[in-house]
Amino acid sequence: MVEPKIQPVERPPNADTVLPLSRVRTIMKSSMDTGLITNEVLFLMTKCTEMFVRHLAGEAYADAFRQQPGESLKYEHLSQLVNKSKNLEFLLQIVPEKIRVHEFQEMLRLNRSAGSDDDDSESGSESDE
Amino acid sequence: MVERIEDLNLPNSVIARIIKESLPESASVSKEARAAIARAASVFAIFVTSSSTALAHKQNHKTITAKDILQTLAELDFESFVPSLTQDLEIYRKMVKEKKEIKASKKDTSTAENANASTAAAAEDATE
Repeated sequence: MVEPKIQPVERPPNADTVLPLSRVRTIMKSSMDTGLITNEVLFLMTKCTEMFVRHLAGEAYADAFRQQPGESLKYEHLSQLVNKSKNLEFLLQIVPEKIRVHEFQEMLRLNRSAGSDDDDSESGSESDE
Repeated sequence: MVERIEDLNLPNSVIARIIKESLPESASVSKEARAAIARAASVFAIFVTSSSTALAHKQNHKTITAKDILQTLAELDFESFVPSLTQDLEIYRKMVKEKKEIKASKKDTSTAENANASTAAAAEDATE
């Protein structure tokens, strides 16, 4: 029972939550058609939301400042991470790049296929923002 | 139900604290970035909830269980969350069990209420 386990996260497992359970319940209910949320499920959702915040901030930071620490984490670092991470795809419209996603994808495609020697052809659609 | 859209926001101060804890001491976070993370966290909770609900429905269950959530996280490519969440859950279950035992031993003296107490405890497990 008490054998030491490998812990990928730096914090020990615990039953404390920092986010308010009642708020997480409200959020959960906003998306659920059929009601009943057990206390156990509520606890787990709160925990995993906390974990997600840590994950998102940590990853964005690590990504942005691999070399020099001590910089300020900015919105663009988050949107960059969202744009390249497959499991953050659901946030594409929540944390969009300051340019439009389809333009970004268009750019990627043009760069790949044409080797980026002539990307002037798309300038007509860039004037949205 | 949700009356105002702000009800879906997680408290800024708590989000700020969690972010701070997960970054190096010297790091700072712009206001815009913090707001984006808070928004993302709410959407994450909704996303996982609805995906878990879909999974539960697929198995002909009406309500989601802890297992549904863990399985959903793995399916959504967040399997790295599962091990430590499983540990947290174990500790949570132990805590709930202990609380219940303390309660039960206290109520053991009043025999008449015993039956009522156990149903009440069960009801407490599943609040709406």
